[in-house]
Amino acid sequence: MGTKASSGSTGTKYGYFLGCVMPAKMPWAEKATFLVSKHLGLDFDYMKESVCCVRPGVWKAINPDWWLTLTSQNLATAEKQNIVIVDSCNGCYISHWECLQELKEEPEKLEMVNRNLEKAGLKVTLSTDVKHFLQVLYEDVGIEKIKENVVKPLNIRIMRHIGCHARKHDERFPMYFDEIMRATGATIVDTPYDKTCCGLLLYFADPKTSIFERIGVKMQTAKELDIDAYALICSGCYDQFERAVKVYKDERGIAFETPIVHFSELLALSFGYKPEDFGMMYCRPIPPTKLIQKLKEGK
Amino acid sequence: MMSGDADRIKSWERLLEAGLKVTEHKQDEEAKKYPLRKQFRPAAPDIAKASLKRDFEVGLVYYVGDDVEQDRALCGLEKKPPTAHTFKEALERKRKILEESGIMKELGFDKKKGFFKY
Repeated sequence: MGTKASSGSTGTKYGYFLGCVMPAKMPWAEKATFLVSKHLGLDFDYMKESVCCVRPGVWKAINPDWWLTLTSQNLATAEKQNIVIVDSCNGCYISHWECLQELKEEPEKLEMVNRNLEKAGLKVTLSTDVKHFLQVLYEDVGIEKIKENVVKPLNIRIMRHIGCHARKHDERFPMYFDEIMRATGATIVDTPYDKTCCGLLLYFADPKTSIFERIGVKMQTAKELDIDAYALICSGCYDQFERAVKVYKDERGIAFETPIVHFSELLALSFGYKPEDFGMMYCRPIPPTKLIQKLKEGK
Repeated sequence: MMSGDADRIKSWERLLEAGLKVTEHKQDEEAKKYPLRKQFRPAAPDIAKASLKRDFEVGLVYYVGDDVEQDRALCGLEKKPPTAHTFKEALERKRKILEESGIMKELGFDKKKGFFKY
């Protein structure tokens, strides 16, 4: 896949695509992702000058060619920066990855896209690659190296929400997620709702089902099972979890207590970082006070 | 769609209102005013308009204001992320693509007014 500047442990220059939700609502996840990536010796930096991915659930539904055109801006920018795009949001990943595949398979679409990009001084040559953060960790770094770096195993029970678009390549990414989470020492509790969609795409059309029958049942289950944390990796899913938790709290007077945490936060903690190293206690709808206390006491 | 209070999701209703607020010719109002005129479905759904507008103004769906900047600093990050929030040229390129490819026109978005025509 093109020539990439090489350094770090894998020889690939990674450009982390922040997307819309993470920089605005999940700064703790952004910081933890960088701590983990640097800790593992990756040549990992931000993908700069990025714009919205653009949300395939909205734009593809409006017009697939518009989606291709607008998503290609990020592909062209990544090419100029000589980086591999790394997405941890499943929605951003699927938008970039599918766009790249479509442009590779359909030359007339590539031509159309480049006609549109040309006006902004950009061009897609298909020399970049798109990877999910799970892929970078599991395929490029390797589970053994991750395990070697775990110095503080987490004695906690988690539920996980991996997200629909992470199932694009069968069960590969979910398996990566689970194996890496288990490497941190966390115990994954299986429930019948693990594969249920977060309801983000449904929200526009059917908010009731999207909130109560998607996130509602998940959070209720976490409460009943007395789970320490709900782990996820996708920023789009997090946005929906946060939205639902706020609807329950502000409009129904129901306060859930299971903190929703990012995959990278748990990894960072198991690598020996402290919650305050990435601001774990700040700006979230459900403060992880109990979880942090449990980790500190080493229970 | 929503009946009693128990069924209502106020934040969703606010989102729809925000979309209608940035729409010049609202389809339901037009239908009452001009009953013989054929109704059509605008390219951008009302419920998505508020977030689309933000996307056209910022380059991304969420703003990064003072409160977010403060949160980012608390987490040990630069106040502004190195996205189109910081690099205005990326936003300008996006706007150019939207204009020149005819997407803005088809969506009926007037960037000067910040309104969807329909």
